[in-house]
Amino acid sequence: MNESISNLWSIPLFIIIPILAAILLNVLYSRKRAISVTAAVSSLALIVVSVLSPFGFHWFTGQPAVLPTGGYTYRADLLGWNLALEYYYGPLQQIAIFLASVLLLFVVLIAINSLKKNTGTYISLLFLTFMSAAIVIMVNDFYHLWIGVEIGSLIVAGVVLATGEAVSQKAALKYTFFSALSGAGLAIALALILGVTGYANISDAIIAMPLNDASLASVLYVAFGFTVLSWIYAGGLAPIHPLKADVYGSAFPHATILLQTQSKLMLVAIGLVILRLFGTLPFAKEVMLSVSVLTMMIGVVMAMLQTDFRWTLAYLIVSHSGLVTLGISLGTVQGIIGGLFQAVNDVVYMSVLLLACEGIYYFGRGTSIKTVSGIAKRAPWLAVAAIIGAFAASGVPPFNGFQSEIILIQASLNYGMPELAIVVLMVSVTTFIALFKGIYNIFLRPDDAPQAGEKQGMPVPRMLYVCLAALIFITILFGVYPQLAINFLNEAALKVVYIPWVP
Amino acid sequence: MGSIDSLYDKVKRFVIEFTSGKGTSSAMTGYMTGELQTVAFIMILASFFRIFSVPLGIVLLAAVVGALFFFGPMIKAMERENSSGLNRVLFWVMIYFAVIIAVTLWG
Repeated sequence: MNESISNLWSIPLFIIIPILAAILLNVLYSRKRAISVTAAVSSLALIVVSVLSPFGFHWFTGQPAVLPTGGYTYRADLLGWNLALEYYYGPLQQIAIFLASVLLLFVVLIAINSLKKNTGTYISLLFLTFMSAAIVIMVNDFYHLWIGVEIGSLIVAGVVLATGEAVSQKAALKYTFFSALSGAGLAIALALILGVTGYANISDAIIAMPLNDASLASVLYVAFGFTVLSWIYAGGLAPIHPLKADVYGSAFPHATILLQTQSKLMLVAIGLVILRLFGTLPFAKEVMLSVSVLTMMIGVVMAMLQTDFRWTLAYLIVSHSGLVTLGISLGTVQGIIGGLFQAVNDVVYMSVLLLACEGIYYFGRGTSIKTVSGIAKRAPWLAVAAIIGAFAASGVPPFNGFQSEIILIQASLNYGMPELAIVVLMVSVTTFIALFKGIYNIFLRPDDAPQAGEKQGMPVPRMLYVCLAALIFITILFGVYPQLAINFLNEAALKVVYIPWVP
Repeated sequence: MGSIDSLYDKVKRFVIEFTSGKGTSSAMTGYMTGELQTVAFIMILASFFRIFSVPLGIVLLAAVVGALFFFGPMIKAMERENSSGLNRVLFWVMIYFAVIIAVTLWG
């Protein structure tokens, strides 16, 4: 064996840059100018690294893989036991981390504009949110998967607490309480898999999985159940969705952009791990499909009942998580591509809607459809952005939501489940109704006569419009040229279906 | 004539159960649409069982339609169950986990 270790230079940077930025921002605390420069430079560095980085691996323990013939190799494409704690950076990881770092930049710039105190601490939490998502999407071993999910859930609580409202504190406490349950569940699942296979590396565990050993079947099913539980928790699927909706609804809308991005990446990462490990178990896909359908249904129906635009969006984010997992749960190449593309699109169009929601705050009357009206007259471009976001979320062409939803519908029909296609259509239509109920009342309904002493609000910052324009551009770009994104997702889908042991 | 009045009364009672207000608010629209969506979703879920056996799907669909007439409106119950109270969420997590393990082990 003359090969040398070829750890990829960029992978540690996705973890180290956010950690260093978080430490530095905490030290800077409330020096706004220094915080702005540090945060902007760090997020830009992450964007640049994600674009320039080639694809490859990072092995933490550095030993070569053992070939079935007894030889050794560092080549990941050869069948062998890797034995290492491992990260992989491929096309799926590239588009996911690129999008997350662009959103991190936007969120950081808006947070600096809108926050009055503790800016450094708050923005450091945003960087750590990004870091947890990056860990989970790149990881190919159980230890780092568990660590990523655990760190992620604790940071979510911190970001939500930063709003300082009583409702946020309640939401954060409940979410943290459940993280103890679901984190422990994931640890048990990983321990069981480690017990039956002997490997911490996911690729090794897939090769060594005793799927035909009837005596170990019950252990595998319990491990599957606990892994699904942590998937449900990390992604906010039913029945844990009320806690996740509380989290989305209680955080600042700009922070919710990163929180929902983290959730979607965790849904994708853990969903693919479940498919690779347990995809061949009887009823595994059916269980995942039922969780997805229930999440879509409950989320979208609950969104209809909300009278606050922020909470409507919170439940729609939950519901659209179900669309992502529906595609992944089908387990076909087309379905997985649809699910992954839906995750990418969902993150973008929900960010448009959340930024529009952030803009409504500047008028000083909250986001309730009962108290806010006539915003379109005072901020017509904000209204245009909200309407475009709503069209994209409802799957109206030529926006990005249409392209991923049509793939999901086709995948469901090809899978022989027209019912799933109907559910996707119903979710799209109901999303349209729920969003336009809010948009009509807030933006288009004539303003009530202003009361004496009523807050007049502040002008919407120009930065928010710049971020909205950039996101709308991506929404239209992926709607018109879906292949731009799909080219990054094909490889991951093909590997999961045909060679699941390759990350 | 009497039967028409009775049906009207039933529909009126059904609608009034959603709200104690004027019945023309945005919230009312949301509840009505939510109820219709829930009914449609539940019927689709029942039809899923055709995967295992077509007669089972038909029987379940018929049973669900009957149950919907009997238990409707569903949306209030669904809203109540959707609470983020820890007890309620824990209860549903336990049910989910039990069903997942039972179904996969049985399968």
